[in-house]
Amino acid sequence: MTVHQKNLRTERVQHALFLAAAALLIALGFAFWGTLGWGALRFFLRHGLNRTILGLRYHPIRGQFGLLPFIIGSLAVTLIATVLAYPLALSVAITATMVLPRRWLSGIRQAVASLAAIPSVIFGWWGLAMVVPLVRNLGGGTGFSVAAAGMVLAAMIVPTLSLLAIHAAMRVPERWVEGSLALGATPDQTLGRVVLRSIRAPLVEAGIVAVGRALGETMAVQMVIGGQTFMPRSVFAPGSTLTSEILNDIGLLPPGALGHHVLDVMALLLLLAMYGLVLLVERIGGREVG
Amino acid sequence: MDNEAPHINVTQLSVAYGDQWVLKDVSMTVPGGQVLAVIGPSGCGKSTLLRVFNRLVDRVAGVHIKGQVRVGDFEVIGDHVDLVELRQKVGMVFQHPNPFPFSVFDNVAYGPRLQGIKNSTRLRILVENSLKQASLWDEVRGKLRRPASSLSGGQQQRLCIARALAVSPQVLLMDEPTSALDPLSTAKIEELVLTLKGQYTVILVTHNLQQAARVSDFTAFFREGHLVELGPTKEVFTTPRQLATEEFLTGRYE
Repeated sequence: MTVHQKNLRTERVQHALFLAAAALLIALGFAFWGTLGWGALRFFLRHGLNRTILGLRYHPIRGQFGLLPFIIGSLAVTLIATVLAYPLALSVAITATMVLPRRWLSGIRQAVASLAAIPSVIFGWWGLAMVVPLVRNLGGGTGFSVAAAGMVLAAMIVPTLSLLAIHAAMRVPERWVEGSLALGATPDQTLGRVVLRSIRAPLVEAGIVAVGRALGETMAVQMVIGGQTFMPRSVFAPGSTLTSEILNDIGLLPPGALGHHVLDVMALLLLLAMYGLVLLVERIGGREVG
Repeated sequence: MDNEAPHINVTQLSVAYGDQWVLKDVSMTVPGGQVLAVIGPSGCGKSTLLRVFNRLVDRVAGVHIKGQVRVGDFEVIGDHVDLVELRQKVGMVFQHPNPFPFSVFDNVAYGPRLQGIKNSTRLRILVENSLKQASLWDEVRGKLRRPASSLSGGQQQRLCIARALAVSPQVLLMDEPTSALDPLSTAKIEELVLTLKGQYTVILVTHNLQQAARVSDFTAFFREGHLVELGPTKEVFTTPRQLATEEFLTGRYE
């Protein structure tokens, strides 16, 4: 066998392997959507759409499957987390890339990256020790609340968001900054009118990624949100999110139990929301920045 | 027009990065409305000199400046210099075209907008005039909303010149503006420099000796941070007074 033939054979084996891996992944994707979709469909056929998605009462044993409290809970927690985390992360990125000396940058990036590597259960643990008592003092009640979950999530996504924002800001070439200054712009004007403006798209992308993380996080939320299934009356009241409720009900509604498929519905809702975010990122990422 | 473009007076200027002096006791005068070419081997302090005139040199950590620089009667060196005012007077064109990632229009309107001009008619007139002055108007009219990055390298550099002119400077600093361009684009920029003469005092740092000979009225030769010789370009190129200048011009030095 010549070397050439040998190479050809290796190449063919490689291609087959790659193809198999790709096919497996695609099949997995379809299986995911298929299983959840089938489960949700069966659920809707039996219980109807209105009383589920827009229903206010959730009591599976009594056949009540209103998911609105969890949808609202997920949205509220995500909103609080993003609103708190975004300005903070942006400040970190601007300080690290524009204000502090350049030689500090890699140290800061490593510190932030190590924060981003902390498992979410540890953020939940920290939330129990620090955030829940804080919210108790601020808003009364037990402290286990939508607000506490939002704050813990904010702390959790700040590192990731900061890293993304730092990477975006590092993409701004020095020659744009100098060009702006040379035209008589102040450093602040340069920051707003050139730096931030030129990385608008990656910053929005980073925000969407952060929203995705907040929306999908389960453990840290479950540990501090209080796990109540009614519509929370305020941000200081306990609540639930789609993710935390799934975690909660897995034991309660095993396969075969009446209403087991409500879990499929919740999962499908999350999947749809996440998929929407991914599509959004892809659309923005497709636009050229520089 | 000639008296609008200011003289530039440099008196005993020395600049150090940390404890390394890159410009040493430089004194010179650039007559208003003329083009001064600054030539010399790499690392001779040319670019630093240019960046002193608009104080962009301040961005380097640990920089020391001694001496005096005046643009017209505007004092350039000192702790309380209004850098915004200085940089509106003294515009700069960089070695590599550096348009912002905006449209052609927004690039040129950037400076005027900084100065608070919001009226869209006024901005449009300013942008058009600046692009005409930079000999770019005919190539970009009707394409002002296109991204600046869609222009060719030479067009981008002329866009950057238009962007600098839109601020109505009196002095134009050009830091090897054609080193990244092809010969045709280079010729266009050189023509442009000749048309700007008189209205602006131009300081052109260049590695291209023919360019210096073609466009400048005066030439300054720098070596190792010292100003070796400054005189009318014709004299410097034909009868240099210093041996070092002659060696550099004839390629026996570098």
